[in-house]
Amino acid sequence: MVKHAQGKPKIVPITGAGAMAQAMRQINPDVVAAFPITPSTQIVEDFSQFVADGKVDTEFVTVESEHSAMSACIGASAAGGRVMTATSSAGMAYMWEMLYVAASMRQPVLMSLVNRALSGPINIHCDHSDSMGARDAGWIQIYSENNQEAYDNLVMAPRIAEHADVRLPIMICQDGFIISHSIQTMQLEDDAKVKAFVGTFKPYHSILDTDHPVTWGALDLQDYYIEHKRGQEQGMRNALKVIEDVSIDFAKQFGRKYDLFETYRMDDAEIVMVAIGSAAGEIKEVIDELRTKGEKVGLLKIRSFRPFPYIQIADALSHAQIITVLDRSASFGAHGPLFTEITTAVYNYTANRPLLLSHTYGLGGRELTMQMIEHVFAESRICLDKGEVNGRQGMWLNVRGD
Amino acid sequence: MNLKQKYALKKWQDLPLGGVILEAGNAADYETGTWRTWKPITHRENCTQCLACWEFCPENAIVLESGIGPDGKPRKFVVDINYYHCKGCGLCVRECPVNKAGVTKALEFVRDEV
Repeated sequence: MVKHAQGKPKIVPITGAGAMAQAMRQINPDVVAAFPITPSTQIVEDFSQFVADGKVDTEFVTVESEHSAMSACIGASAAGGRVMTATSSAGMAYMWEMLYVAASMRQPVLMSLVNRALSGPINIHCDHSDSMGARDAGWIQIYSENNQEAYDNLVMAPRIAEHADVRLPIMICQDGFIISHSIQTMQLEDDAKVKAFVGTFKPYHSILDTDHPVTWGALDLQDYYIEHKRGQEQGMRNALKVIEDVSIDFAKQFGRKYDLFETYRMDDAEIVMVAIGSAAGEIKEVIDELRTKGEKVGLLKIRSFRPFPYIQIADALSHAQIITVLDRSASFGAHGPLFTEITTAVYNYTANRPLLLSHTYGLGGRELTMQMIEHVFAESRICLDKGEVNGRQGMWLNVRGD
Repeated sequence: MNLKQKYALKKWQDLPLGGVILEAGNAADYETGTWRTWKPITHRENCTQCLACWEFCPENAIVLESGIGPDGKPRKFVVDINYYHCKGCGLCVRECPVNKAGVTKALEFVRDEV
């Protein structure tokens, strides 16, 4: 049994970005390599201050680009260190090549990603285009609704990513500005308790272990590449259970319970909205209001997008009559990435054949107002009464001209 | 265990994670000789044992052996080409001083049998 120091948690007012820096300080990684970019800048700024003040033992590598940041993370991880970074938008786009390398080399790099639109036209505000574009890179993707969730998810991240059955990099995502720059009160756990929860990093064939020299990143051709990729896929499949297990242990230690996704007033819901990130807060408000008027509405909020819990989500949606999916990123010429996953889940893993409505919203930080959410619920009700979604499928919300 | 057994194709479950190679120096086991379309052959009778081919060979495929030189001192001699590693780049043939002099050939580049 690990004996925990009896420190008390503190209720603090803090921004989402500040919360991530605090989690990084408590995790105290061996190496951080990062290049600041809006809106994740405060994470790197705060953390570099912790390094300067001697509050962490971290080697902070000030790189000249995000491509180098991720390269340094991969190298340091292969050397046997616990490694962290933070980025946003174009910064992660610039890491693209190395994101795949980190995942396929099974280096459990821990990233806190602050979601921001991709250029152009250049925009610094929130949407999920950056992480959704990287959804096939092989990283575990966990999304957070608010500061507390982002902090809690980052505290859980090392245990998930570094688990022997997983060994994959992980990105903990939060909405740019909406979360990263908003001050909310949050429970900051005791340093020693977080440290005990996170545990120590166990390297897998460190390249600094000169008594057992190994080669990382060798050429891999037709005879073995696909076997290595299959192994990588298995790590991701195993991650579902590990995320659940770590979340249960987290609840035991800190009292906040998380699942692969969150359901809100779904028990008898006929209309279910599915969304990711900060929008869930407003949607819950609207649901509470509509419920007082007798409308049977509910929310399914995604936490783990990669791996995607198809079976569990399908089970949760097995009684919904219409499912309205809100995507905060566009896949031009196709439905949004969340919609296609939800459709796959429902139509492959249940006998339920609900109507499915796809909406795109919030690109480049365009607000999603409560009136807008109410409108979407009303529209979903009309579709449900008519028994078809024709004419409303694939609409973009809050766009002038539509 | 021969190389064929050692490198029998494995299932994905039996592989180390992330394509890591756990054995140092096993690049020597890799048969790069199959890449060859042209091959260098030696004409020992014309060789002056200058070792230029050994110096230039990028694959360390020129095999040397210890011996005693005409001056009575120990030195190395070219004895063979290791066709398991020779990729057939032809550098040895091009750099051979005997070949460059143009009278005879100590190394010759010929079409490899496929």
